[in-house]
Amino acid sequence: MRLWYDWRAAAVVNDRGDLVDVLEHDGHLTEHAVVERLRTLAQGGLIPEALTLKDRFPEAVPAVHGSPGLPDVAYPLPSDAQLALADQAAVRLSIEGVQQAASDPDRRMEHLVRGSEELRAAHLTMEARLIEWAGLFFPLFRVNDRSGFVRSVGHASTPEELAEDLDTVVPEILPTASEWRSMNEWAQDTAQAQSRLDRMENALRELTLSHLPSVSALLGPLLAARLCVEAHGRQRLARLPSGTVQVLGAEKAFFQHLKTGSSPPKHGHIFMHPWVNRSPRWVRGKIARMLAGKISIAARIDAFDGTPWGDEDVAKVEDQVIALREANQQPPSRRR
Amino acid sequence: MGGGRSKRRGPKDLSSTVLLDRRALWTENAVPGTTVYGESLRRFSGREHRRWDPNRSKLGAAMLRTQADPAELLPEQGTSVLYLGAGHGTSVSHLYDHVCGEQNRLGGRLVCVDLAPRCLRELTHMATNRPGLVPVLGDARKHDAWGVLLPRKVNWLFQDVAQAGQVDMFVRACRRFLSVNGQGLLSLKAASERWTGEGEAALFAGVEQHLLEAGFQVEESIELTGYEDNHRLYHVTMLEA
Repeated sequence: MRLWYDWRAAAVVNDRGDLVDVLEHDGHLTEHAVVERLRTLAQGGLIPEALTLKDRFPEAVPAVHGSPGLPDVAYPLPSDAQLALADQAAVRLSIEGVQQAASDPDRRMEHLVRGSEELRAAHLTMEARLIEWAGLFFPLFRVNDRSGFVRSVGHASTPEELAEDLDTVVPEILPTASEWRSMNEWAQDTAQAQSRLDRMENALRELTLSHLPSVSALLGPLLAARLCVEAHGRQRLARLPSGTVQVLGAEKAFFQHLKTGSSPPKHGHIFMHPWVNRSPRWVRGKIARMLAGKISIAARIDAFDGTPWGDEDVAKVEDQVIALREANQQPPSRRR
Repeated sequence: MGGGRSKRRGPKDLSSTVLLDRRALWTENAVPGTTVYGESLRRFSGREHRRWDPNRSKLGAAMLRTQADPAELLPEQGTSVLYLGAGHGTSVSHLYDHVCGEQNRLGGRLVCVDLAPRCLRELTHMATNRPGLVPVLGDARKHDAWGVLLPRKVNWLFQDVAQAGQVDMFVRACRRFLSVNGQGLLSLKAASERWTGEGEAALFAGVEQHLLEAGFQVEESIELTGYEDNHRLYHVTMLEA
């Protein structure tokens, strides 16, 4: 005995192919109600009519309309008007599904990471140009604080005011009025790019700390976010072998290695972590390998609802880093 | 391109809304004045048509490449059809022009399934002013999740999913949703299948064998190289089970 159902009706059909009992929704169905019914079906659930029939015929095996093996009999199929209602509901349901995609932190993180990368690149070139440009007119001033210099140029209304602010002599050759205005606006834009970048990175930190608490504790949120985006999402990061995590971001060197047999990269993005880049060259590979293993563990904790790592767990890893450094104080000899 | 074809004066009608003008396909715009993906618009006897770009639609490419009558690849107008792997809706928009027409005056129904929310975004936009276009966000393999939207079997089914096991997927979908004597179109991406080391020709031949064994009559296997490299479109007819 089978229990047939679709989004608005259910029927029990016996082994001879007779419809034993039929229950159809006869009242008015709102779009909202149909959306709920379609959602229930998409999640593998039963509609109310099917549940009622299931109570009446506990031995009937439920099978949604069209399932293989259902006998081909005259089921109570929807009318054209009802089908049009289902169409509207399906559109509504897919709009909801599309909106749900925005709740996926992986997708949001990707835009924040890539966006801040682009903004940082733009900001650095703008800053470098400003320093060269303004430096042309103030050759006696030495720029130590780059962002402070950018702000000073942006705030000054005349070159003379800038000279006073920088505590340097007014140069003999000054930019023309229009040239000065361009330089001044360029400086304001540069300073603005800097503050926009800061805000963007704060947003990224906030998101990553909640999405990847353990990896963030271990590496800091910005690096954690970068790894996660490079791996195309938290689930994938958690499933990657740690050998891959170790070289994430070093794809060029890695495929060069596969292609030509050059030595494989020891570290990808994780090189940015001080445990790796502040260690002696000959220990970096060992630390990177150990750290990649820990990142994998941390990512799995985050992806599969574990208890996030705290300071103690991170301290344990740091002890291992120190131990590795101490065990390898001297560079290996070139000869074996 | 072309050459050797008999010279025709004026465009040839493939259906009441699709026409072939020399080497280009045009469909009558169901939403006049708008384009879907930046295609060109042009009037034929007073009605606005959209150019069907074969480089962006495998169905369009197949219609230009087929040895048979290109109209045979299209479903009957005003019927219910199923499209698996709808993508950004390039093919779907033209198919809508053909099956449904402006404000669905032909009374067709076009159910399109895709897994990617990004793709569905475009499709839901399109669906807002195209009654009869039913976008579904879901896995094309999980028939139970959206199969209730097709109370009756369809006569035309298209699959373009570019993932491993596409042929089995196609066979399963046809058995469940395609009526006897219905037309099935499978767009096969060679790179998505497991590489056997014997080359693409062997792979394509294996697929054809697979389809025959599954009980289809293979009408044509259309090479899409030039429009879409390493792709082939199989046109099959569902035989009596």
